[in-house]
Amino acid sequence: MIKTAQDIKSYKRQLKEALGDRFLRKALDNFNTAYRENRPHVYQGIDFEGIRDEIAAGKDAGLPHLKKMFEEFKVHAEAAGTKVHMAKDALQANEIIARIAREGGVERIIKAKSMTAEETFLNHHLEKTGFEVTETDLGEWIIQLRREGPSHMVMPAIHLSRYQVGDLFETVTREKQDSEDIDKLVKVARKSLRSVFLEADMGISGANFALADSGVLGLVTNEGNMRLVTTLPRIHVALVGYDKLIPNLQSALRILKVLPRNATGQAITSYVTWIKGTNPCLSAPSAHKEMHVVFLDNGRLSLAEDPVFSEALRCIRCGACANVCPIYSKVGGHKYGHVYIGAIGLILTLFYHGSENDRAIVQNCINCQACKSVCPVDIDLPHLIKKTYRAVMDQERQTPVKNVVLSKVMKNRKLFHFILRKAYLAQKPFSKNRPMIRHLPHFFEKKHGFRSLPVIARTPLRDQWKPLSPAVARPEYTIGFFVGCAIDFIYPEQGRALPALLGGHNVQVGFPMDQTCCGLPALMAAEEETAREVARQNIRALAPQKYDYILTLCASCASHLKHNYPKIFKQDPDPPIGLGEFTDKIIDFSSFLVNVLNVSPKAFKRTGKKVAYHSPCHLCRGLNVVDEPRQLIERAGHTYVPSKDEDVCCGFGGSYSVDFPEISSAILNKKLDNIEAADADLLVTDCPGCVIQLRGGMDKRDGRIEVKHLSEALADQLTTDDSQR
Amino acid sequence: MNSPELVQLMKKRAEAVQACVSVVKGFDDIAAYTADLTKKQGGKTIAATGLDAAEYEILGLICESAGLTLLAPPFRNHARNIHTSLTVAGWGIADTGSLVIDSSSEDVRIATMLPETHIAILPAEKIKPDPEALAGELDRILKADTPAYMAFITGASRTADIERVLAIGVHGPRELHILIVEDHHA
Ligand code: SF4
Ligand code: SF4
Repeated sequence: MIKTAQDIKSYKRQLKEALGDRFLRKALDNFNTAYRENRPHVYQGIDFEGIRDEIAAGKDAGLPHLKKMFEEFKVHAEAAGTKVHMAKDALQANEIIARIAREGGVERIIKAKSMTAEETFLNHHLEKTGFEVTETDLGEWIIQLRREGPSHMVMPAIHLSRYQVGDLFETVTREKQDSEDIDKLVKVARKSLRSVFLEADMGISGANFALADSGVLGLVTNEGNMRLVTTLPRIHVALVGYDKLIPNLQSALRILKVLPRNATGQAITSYVTWIKGTNPCLSAPSAHKEMHVVFLDNGRLSLAEDPVFSEALRCIRCGACANVCPIYSKVGGHKYGHVYIGAIGLILTLFYHGSENDRAIVQNCINCQACKSVCPVDIDLPHLIKKTYRAVMDQERQTPVKNVVLSKVMKNRKLFHFILRKAYLAQKPFSKNRPMIRHLPHFFEKKHGFRSLPVIARTPLRDQWKPLSPAVARPEYTIGFFVGCAIDFIYPEQGRALPALLGGHNVQVGFPMDQTCCGLPALMAAEEETAREVARQNIRALAPQKYDYILTLCASCASHLKHNYPKIFKQDPDPPIGLGEFTDKIIDFSSFLVNVLNVSPKAFKRTGKKVAYHSPCHLCRGLNVVDEPRQLIERAGHTYVPSKDEDVCCGFGGSYSVDFPEISSAILNKKLDNIEAADADLLVTDCPGCVIQLRGGMDKRDGRIEVKHLSEALADQLTTDDSQR
Repeated sequence: MNSPELVQLMKKRAEAVQACVSVVKGFDDIAAYTADLTKKQGGKTIAATGLDAAEYEILGLICESAGLTLLAPPFRNHARNIHTSLTVAGWGIADTGSLVIDSSSEDVRIATMLPETHIAILPAEKIKPDPEALAGELDRILKADTPAYMAFITGASRTADIERVLAIGVHGPRELHILIVEDHHA
């Protein structure tokens, strides 16, 4: 049975356990890499973004009309003999299905894979009622025998090794199995289940599509068991969520272009089956099958009307949001969801299985945007996860103390900066006047000691700025510098590099002193109200009309300012003046240097040093900036050396690394292993948060590779001859 | 795309998903292929659907001479005992190497699901470039007020449920053979 942690303490205990499962870690890490590497091949010649946008728009257009589509479906399905039922919740769905079985004199039931049936715990209900239920999808059969829930929506038994499966099959068949040979294990299922298929009275399936204009169900499968489940027994019941209703065949064919590709890397699955009505069936008394479709609401109909969360109903259950998630790949699906797993699971759990099952898991997202970038229906998953976290807190009327403090401090810039300045003094005993704290006080060290921590700078950048950036007489560009907390208070040197690099380019840089934290940490803690308040302060401080660009050296700030600001004011009746202009003018460091200034290689010494690059989540996925930083590395006289998984998260995620240190450290270590394998002398990135994580981790492992922000790495290479620039 | 190109694409894409594809001349070839393959695999029985009377006769003769049994419908009676099936596909989809088979008859369903080896006859002129090119015809079938069971079949049945290792032949046929015929029923 599924046991999802209902409080953060037991959740962390479970996570620790999962992190210790070496097979799981290796299997899922390999899967993550293989999936991402294979993806471009799978989508060759296909306009993923174009189709994605079309599907999303199509789904959105349908959501307000689910009830109408249901009625339409019903008319057509009934005309072909199908009985159509509606179930308002899981219990009602299960009861309807049990009643159909009872009235049909059923004893044995076979099932094809259905996440919706998992959602209602249908097997459990039917077994309790006295029916014999057998799952026939290989993965589902395995987890049914083990009495577990699925750990992946497409590959439910991905958490198990062949040896575990072999042992299980030995118990089931009472025969010795050759676990080394997966083909043979698969044949065990073929052989064992054949009679079950032939002797069953009723078959239960789900469906991928319910076509409103014809009353047809579409099912997308690979093994062939679903076809047997819907053919051999005399009764077929399909359990279908309302969200599977789509207008017609065309909409289904469009989804079919991406669903198999995204789910399993296939252009199409082995079987795509369109079923309608009471097809011939010789085991039925009438020689025609009894056919039922049970539509499940369970919160979907009200979700469809929700201005924020309705987007989640676009999901076509491809499972990809888990495949690419760095956290899923560390802890597996049983610890990363309840019934539905992965990013979408963290969201849907609240609506289908209650806040008690979501309250712990929903906090476990590092906001790396990987899921969003592969979602074929364009659900803004990381954003909705934070929204869900907020909804959980609101429903339970519980806000953690740390959230209360964070909100209070962040809303008041002077207090916030005062605390940061004081922190410089407080940390002195630990830093021992070195740039990093290697050892934390004893009670922190065990969990949080996986990286050295940077120290707060003695003098923040704001106090050093004036002499660094003199007035320019006739500037070609006037830019506002959004510095961000990390550079201002921890790494002023990264910001100091900017005026040095701009010298000779005729750029006037403004540093408005009233700017404060971008607000991302507040949003990460689901304190959207606080995030809005600091956003207002920043837009006022930066006064976008004064500048051609608003530049930042922090990828996370940049993507938050550009993409989250409009989102957090979407429902606000009184958005700040200049919001649109502000977000339009946001530019990241590399894009400014390459695309606006077009800096010349001549400005830099040519050293040919081997430089690896870490691509920050919020730059490559958040802002789609991919080539520019790598170009800059080369223009600055370095040799760029590629490394594996460059665009995978480093595990920082701000407070995430403090809340979930073990996972953060596992992600970081993989990253550093990849960098070390690339044999570079220097690692650069363009986000101070990533620098904290990577430099801290490298220091802790006594690695020889230096870690720098791209701005520093560039400034170090400047020739002294200004005329060259 | 003209017909030879579609045939080539169909072949390429179907082979990419482990189907065996041959282009054949007429039914004599098909019947011989079916009997030979069944014998080679050590099978004894053949279930055939969708053939006309003459074709059925030819297949019967060949089976007899090869010592094979041509099973009589309904196939449910032979459910545990069908080695090879021979069916006729309504269409092919070149882009994905798929067969489209109207499976509303129970015999067709059983013949495409339960055997070890499934051989499908695909008339060359019925190959469409992609699913969209078939949408109109499919839609007509699906929208009629009658039961329907339409199947896109692409390669043999498969799974990657254990350690993500691809294994062919789980619950459905272990092999899919496609015989593209230039002048079927000509
Ligand atoms: S944003 Fe990253 S960590 Fe969060 S669910 Fe998506 S992939 Fe996982
Ligand atoms: S949310 Fe998107 S990526 Fe995740 S399962 Fe649903 S459709 Fe696939």
